[in-house]
Amino acid sequence: MTEVLLHVENLHVSVADTPIIQGISLEIKRGEIHAIMGRNGSGKSTLANVIMGHPAYEVTSGTIHYKGQNIDDMEVFERARAGMFLSFQYPASIPGVQVGTFLRKSVASVREEAPSPREFRQELNEAMKQLDMDRSFLSRYVNDGFSGGEKKRLEILQMLLLQPDLALLDETDSGLDIDALRIVADGINAVAKETGCLIITHYQRLLDLVKPNVVHVLIDGKIVESGGPELAIKLEKEGYDWADALV
Amino acid sequence: MTSYLDAIVPSRSEHLWRYTPWSRVHPGNVDTVPEVDSAIVNSEDLKLNTVAFESLSTTDIARIFLNEIMHETIVVSCDDGEGHVHIHAGGHAVATHLHLSCSTASNIVIHLHGEPDWFGLALTGDINANARLSVGIINELSSDSVMVRVDDWNVHRDASFELATLSMGGHRNKSDIRSTLLGTNASLKQFIAVHGHGTRHDDHHIEIHHQQPHTNSHLLLNAVCDDRSHSIGTGSLTIDDIAQHTDAGQVFRNLLLSPSSRAEAIPELEVLANEVAASHGAASAPINQEQLHYLMSRGLSKDEATSMIVEGFLVDSFTDLDSDHVREAMQTRLTVHLECQLIG
Repeated sequence: MTEVLLHVENLHVSVADTPIIQGISLEIKRGEIHAIMGRNGSGKSTLANVIMGHPAYEVTSGTIHYKGQNIDDMEVFERARAGMFLSFQYPASIPGVQVGTFLRKSVASVREEAPSPREFRQELNEAMKQLDMDRSFLSRYVNDGFSGGEKKRLEILQMLLLQPDLALLDETDSGLDIDALRIVADGINAVAKETGCLIITHYQRLLDLVKPNVVHVLIDGKIVESGGPELAIKLEKEGYDWADALV
Repeated sequence: MTSYLDAIVPSRSEHLWRYTPWSRVHPGNVDTVPEVDSAIVNSEDLKLNTVAFESLSTTDIARIFLNEIMHETIVVSCDDGEGHVHIHAGGHAVATHLHLSCSTASNIVIHLHGEPDWFGLALTGDINANARLSVGIINELSSDSVMVRVDDWNVHRDASFELATLSMGGHRNKSDIRSTLLGTNASLKQFIAVHGHGTRHDDHHIEIHHQQPHTNSHLLLNAVCDDRSHSIGTGSLTIDDIAQHTDAGQVFRNLLLSPSSRAEAIPELEVLANEVAASHGAASAPINQEQLHYLMSRGLSKDEATSMIVEGFLVDSFTDLDSDHVREAMQTRLTVHLECQLIG
C-alpha cells in the first residue's frame, strides 16, 4: 500500500485573529502530485506555510499528520529534518551567507549522515548541471540581488539536494521564462516519483510539464472542488466565477 | 604643545565623549600620566622602521595623552606591498604608533593580539596622489583589555583609501577614526564590523572631512550586540563649502540579539556645499524572522540559523572591499572567531 505522507483533516488557520483557512481536508501519498489553484488571497500560501510550521500562523482547529504523526508540536527545523520541504514564493535573502556554505550546512542538517565533501561536491555539480546553473552562483549571497528566476532555481536546487519526502512548491513557476520553466519542471519531475508534491500555482503552463494526479480549487480558504488535470484546463478557460457557486 | 596635565578633561556633553567618558578609558587615574611600554610589532612580509615618535595632531584629550606616553613611531613601508603586521601587546599599559605612507598600491592587514590591561593605538597615514591603499585592522585583544585607538588619515588627490575594522576583542574600546580628503577625486571607503558579546563596550567615532571638490566617501558600520554588550557608532561628516560634487554616505546598522544589549547609531552631517550628494541612515533591529524561518525550514536549529544570520551580517560589512587580500583576511578571522564562540 502506498504510504500516506500528508493527512490534513478539517484544518482551520488564522493569522492575527483573521480566519484564512476554513476547513481543509487533504491527503497526499508518496508519488502523488497535487496541485492547488485559487485566486490571490484564497489561502494557498497560508496552507503551505502552516504545513511547514510558520510561527505566524495559528492552527485554530483540525490536524496535520505527516507520515502518520501529528506534527502540531514540531518546530520548523524538525519538520525539515523529517523530510518536509517548502519552496518559498518569496525566499528570504541572507546577505553575507554564500550559497555554497548555506547548501552544505542545510544538507548536513537534514541528512542523518552528512555526505563527505567530495560526495557533496559531486551531487552539487550534478544538480546544478541539471538546472543549468553556473558555479558562480555558489559564491553569491543567498538570494541577495537575485532575479525572480534565479531565486526559483535556487529553491529547486535545494529540493534536489535535500531529497525531501514531501515537497510543497509555492508558486515556483512565477517569474520564470519558458526555458527556465521547463528546466524547473524537469527538476520537479526528477524527484516527484519518490516524493509527495503539493504544487501551488496560478497557471496551467506548469501543469503541462508536471502532470498532477489531483487538482484542487481553493476559494475563501476551502477546497470547493477536486478533480483530475482537466480541472486546471477548465480554470484556465473559464476562471473562478463558476467555483464561487460551490462555496 | 598642550601638556596632558594642563588639558581639560572633556565633559560628557561633547559628542565625542558622550557615551564613553575619558575617565573610563584612561589607564588609571585621569590626573596621572603612567609609564607605558611599547608593544611588540613585527611583520614577515613588510619592512618596518622604528623612528623617534612623531607627534599626533593635538586636538583632543586622547591624542594629547598619547603624545606624552609614546616613545617611538613604527613606519610601515607599504609601497607595492601586501602583507600582515602583528602588534602584540602585553602587561599593564602598552602603546604603539604605526605610520603608513603609500605612494603606489598596497594591501595591509594589522592584527592586534595580547592581554594588556590597557592598550593605546595610534594609526596615521598618507595616501599620496594617485596611490591606492587598503588597510584592515583586526582587534583580537583579550576580553579584559581596554583600548583607546586614534586614527588620522590624509587622502590626497586621485588617491583611494579603504579602511576596514573588525572589532571582536577587548572589554572596553574607544576608537576615534578621522580621515581627511585633501585632494580632488580622493576616495574613501570605510567598513566596520563589531561583534558585541558578554559586557563588551565598543565605541566608534568616525570623522570624515571633505575639503576638496569631486571627493567621495562611504561608511558602513555593522554591529551585532548580544548578551549585555553595548555598541556605539557616531559619525561626523563634514563637507566644506568648496567641496562641490562630493558624494558621501554613512550607514549604521545594529543587530540586537538580546533584550539587555544596547546600540546607539548617530550619524551627523555638516554640509556647507550645495552641489553634493550626502546621505545617512541608521537602523537597529532584532533578527529578521523571515530569514530565521527560511533557514530553519532548511533544517537548521534556531541557534544554528541565528549564528548563520549573525555571521552573514558581519561578513557583509566587508563585501564592498576592493582588496581581495584584506577582505579574505577579515572574513576568515571573523568566521574562525564565531566558530570558536559557538563551540564555547
